[in-house]
Amino acid sequence: MNDLNTLALLGVIAGPVIFAAAIYFTKHTKLRNILVLAAALLTSSLGIFIAASPSADIYPGNWALYAGAGLEIAMTLAVLAIAYNIRSWAVGLFGTIQLVLVVISEFMHNESSLGPAFVVDDLSRIMVAIVSVVGSLILVYSIGYMKEHEHHAPAAARSTNTFMFFLVGFIGAMNGLVLANDMKWLGCFFEATTICSFVLIGHDRTREATKNAARAILINSFGGVALTIGAFLALLKGSTQYSGILYHADIIAFAFIALAGLVKSAQMPFQSWLLGAMVAPTPVSALLHSATMVNIGVYLVLRAAPAFAGTKLMYFIAIIGAFSFAATSALAIAQSNGKKVLAYSTIGNLGLIFTCAGIDSPLGYSAAIMLLCFHAVSKGLLFLCMGTIEQKIGSRDIEDMGSLLREMPLTTVITLIGMASMLVPPFGMLLSKWLAIEAAISSPIVLLLVVIGSALTVLFWAKWIGRITTVSYHPWYTIERISITKQSVLAILAAIVVIAGLGAILLYRDLFVDIAIRAYQGTYISQSDLKLFEAAGKIPYWPFMAFIGLALVAGILAYFTVNASNVRSPFLCGENVPGSTKTYEFRSAKDSSQLAWSSSLYLRHIFEESKTTMWANLIAAVIILSMFAAIGVL
Amino acid sequence: MSVLAKSPWVVHFNCNSCNGCDIEFLACLTPTYDVERFGVVHVGNPKHADILVVTGSVNHRNARVLANVYQQMPNPKVVVACGVCTSSGGIFADCYNVLGGVDKFIPVDVFVPGCPPRPEAMIDGIVKAVGILASKAKGIETPVADKPRITVSPSPKPVLETPAQEPDEVGAGK
Amino acid sequence: MSETIIKLLIAIVVAPFVGAVIAGLDRKVTARMQGRVGPPILQPIYDVLKLLIKQPIFLNRIQILYAFMHLAFMMLTLVLLILGQDMLLTLFVHAFATISLILGGMCVRSPYSRIGSQRKTLMLLAYEPILVIMVVGIYLSQGSFMASDVVATGAKPLLISLPLVFIAYMMAMAIELQKSPFDVASSHHAHQEIVKGVTLEYAGPFLAIIEIAHFYEVFLLFAVVYFFWAPYNLANAAVGIVLAAGAFLFHIVLDNTFARLPAMWIVRFMWVIVFLMATTNIIWLYRLGTI
Repeated sequence: MNDLNTLALLGVIAGPVIFAAAIYFTKHTKLRNILVLAAALLTSSLGIFIAASPSADIYPGNWALYAGAGLEIAMTLAVLAIAYNIRSWAVGLFGTIQLVLVVISEFMHNESSLGPAFVVDDLSRIMVAIVSVVGSLILVYSIGYMKEHEHHAPAAARSTNTFMFFLVGFIGAMNGLVLANDMKWLGCFFEATTICSFVLIGHDRTREATKNAARAILINSFGGVALTIGAFLALLKGSTQYSGILYHADIIAFAFIALAGLVKSAQMPFQSWLLGAMVAPTPVSALLHSATMVNIGVYLVLRAAPAFAGTKLMYFIAIIGAFSFAATSALAIAQSNGKKVLAYSTIGNLGLIFTCAGIDSPLGYSAAIMLLCFHAVSKGLLFLCMGTIEQKIGSRDIEDMGSLLREMPLTTVITLIGMASMLVPPFGMLLSKWLAIEAAISSPIVLLLVVIGSALTVLFWAKWIGRITTVSYHPWYTIERISITKQSVLAILAAIVVIAGLGAILLYRDLFVDIAIRAYQGTYISQSDLKLFEAAGKIPYWPFMAFIGLALVAGILAYFTVNASNVRSPFLCGENVPGSTKTYEFRSAKDSSQLAWSSSLYLRHIFEESKTTMWANLIAAVIILSMFAAIGVL
Repeated sequence: MSVLAKSPWVVHFNCNSCNGCDIEFLACLTPTYDVERFGVVHVGNPKHADILVVTGSVNHRNARVLANVYQQMPNPKVVVACGVCTSSGGIFADCYNVLGGVDKFIPVDVFVPGCPPRPEAMIDGIVKAVGILASKAKGIETPVADKPRITVSPSPKPVLETPAQEPDEVGAGK
Repeated sequence: MSETIIKLLIAIVVAPFVGAVIAGLDRKVTARMQGRVGPPILQPIYDVLKLLIKQPIFLNRIQILYAFMHLAFMMLTLVLLILGQDMLLTLFVHAFATISLILGGMCVRSPYSRIGSQRKTLMLLAYEPILVIMVVGIYLSQGSFMASDVVATGAKPLLISLPLVFIAYMMAMAIELQKSPFDVASSHHAHQEIVKGVTLEYAGPFLAIIEIAHFYEVFLLFAVVYFFWAPYNLANAAVGIVLAAGAFLFHIVLDNTFARLPAMWIVRFMWVIVFLMATTNIIWLYRLGTI
């Protein structure tokens, strides 16, 4: 059984990397597409197998530790090579610090470590499932997307082979990261994901792309430095593994690792790299910057949360998460670029997960895991829809997305499903937001920030949903023609979102509650926390299903029984132009025809981006410095 | 059905009126006359309305607007034309831009005579219209209203001894 | 089981009638205050019955779906509340009911409707934090989020520990009831202005659905007022009803005395003054309480 597990582990980490190498050297597009499909199939099946199998600790043997150290050194050398390539002294500095620390720790490394190098437990099984399934779907999507992208890409762009190499290889690195327990492997895969992100963001090789890729690697290698410092400090206390840090409750080492996590998850004040990364092709945004890579930070903190329950550090993590949530929700309102709105929303939701993890109670933990799962799937779907829409209409602006329901009915309905899953009870995201507020009840500052943030998120979702469902009456719609890979992936992801969303209450009661109980075994939990936790697990399921079902049935019946003769034009004070093709055309001065147009609410005079970002970054920096001061480092 | 009679919602449209009839109509909503006790609500757009109260003589521009507003009302609906301008153009019947008479563009169910009609007369007209509305809801065919017998058209010539003045340049309407 | 059925009947069948009567009483008392006679008390019911028999004109089919979703989620809110469920979840369901209405106004190509929806979104932004703070205050005072614990025999009445929150709720309720000075999004009385924007493009039976949902909402709002003095015995029930009646009169007086505020003023007023007031109350509870 253990061998099977080890084999699956190896398959899910090394398999994609091997496929990636094969993809890099293929000459034919069809062969490359088949290889990508095969990689997707293999990864998803192995991922589901690992997720379904029981927990296990993997001890691969000493060769693995040396291999880990060697690979980590190789990755830092790669970072230094990139630093030379983009002529960045800062990245070079960060890479050098990392190299020095890693080499020193190699020599300090005495006996063979005590714990398993790889661990398969609840949290890593969930992450492997997300990465493998969602990642594989995005790989399939990228086949169709890149085919279209090649037509419009600038001449200097890298080849699609390179793109696929890094995309597929990234999945292997990501799987490795969530399964790793040894700090060397952790650091190695962390750097690998940074490098993949750098290459993929700069894929188009335009000025903007190269600038943003440089910024991404600058900030992310700062995170890598923090991780290496944390690992080094842990080594000074004698632990070479993450579980060892938790066992010894080494709070200073964990503080640095948490900082690395905050950087990777693009929390304030480190959020600019994620916003700049939106210039990358859509599969990159969907895979790296919403569904998987940015979850590394929350994963690292979640894994450590039960061990550090009640400490000031976790409280500060909760505060920075809640502050990011509130600030990014405000910033998203003023954006009209659809991808930037999604990026801000991603950062905000990750902040909410940090808040739930930082609250450090079983309720918070279960809310965090639920948010993690549902957000990865919903956001991945939304990014893919955004990419499809962008390729069809040629614009990312929300204001250009009117009449989308008529032009691309299938994609629009799927986008609506994705957006509804962010807002509608009892889908997972709303349930998690509810749990988050309940969990945050013990700390007023965190609570207030979460309340403000959740009130602000409604604004930009409602505006966007309203814009894409704006349509005049049409008796029938023609399904748009998009490539089969894109269509099938969107449909499958939408089905997952709907099924998981409808069953969110059941999933919470039966799965996430148990995971939280297991994680917090042996930790002290206060009476009120326990009472809340028990009550949250008892919400009735049938009222939601009954009324949503009623609404849908009534809506669908109405849809098919209305009479076209009952259609009227909008009210334009009677000045509608009769016989016009546009129902919103009206006669204005001198009998000229004008189109009635009202833009959406952006509140730019309040949430103007650069000023708000400046203040938010300032406050966030103060919070992080206070975090380090509170644990005695500063 | 009787429920239509209990809740007639009114939308008001001014076609070229001097506002006299409009003021008198709005007076119906004030405490002195209070049509709300009959369930009448003055709504802001034709889609919510049962009764269209029209004032003013119609001109080229708002003829099509009037038709549009009438078309946007859901059935069953009635039209109440208040004031003498709506039947013949009133004292403005000779003007170059006045087409004279709402019934040339939409079917009118009730004419309320007067210049302006008193609020009591308008309420009387609305109550009559509500009765017609109830019949329409039952599916009974109701005839359009006959035009009032006494109208003011053509306007009487002024009796003056002073020589006729040069008429002002009448700009070609555009 | 039978108790659940009775509660469901109250929530689904009785509530809209009570809501309609309250709305009718509203119009009657307002009329009397203005020196008029006013419509009969059952007038809102006649209005809805009339709308149901009108021609069902519409602009596009998705606005019909939004109207049904608005009604369904409003009913769900009331069902959850009367079944004694988690009040925070109930609040989010109610927020989504309002969002459905907003989306219904946005999905048509009508500038007035869209502007009305945008203003309503701003109003939702203005009052939602207050309601969440109110639920947090209820938790701090009762130790539980469940509505059933608030009405349980022997519980403490909420008004004693949450007076400022009650005042804040009165303000939020004024926005939801579309009363002056907070009626920029959808005035209760000024039908003839752009401000009826959200329901502008709805007619006939579809407007009737939205009106029925409004009756559920009226019942819900006054039920929450009743909650502030709800522990179950006859004396407390009487006090609760008196409180609800007092809130009713307060809103009518508020409506008739104040002029309308612009949208951003309302948001600023709610977020600065009313939010601060409610937060002061709960911080005082935090310092006193057991959390």
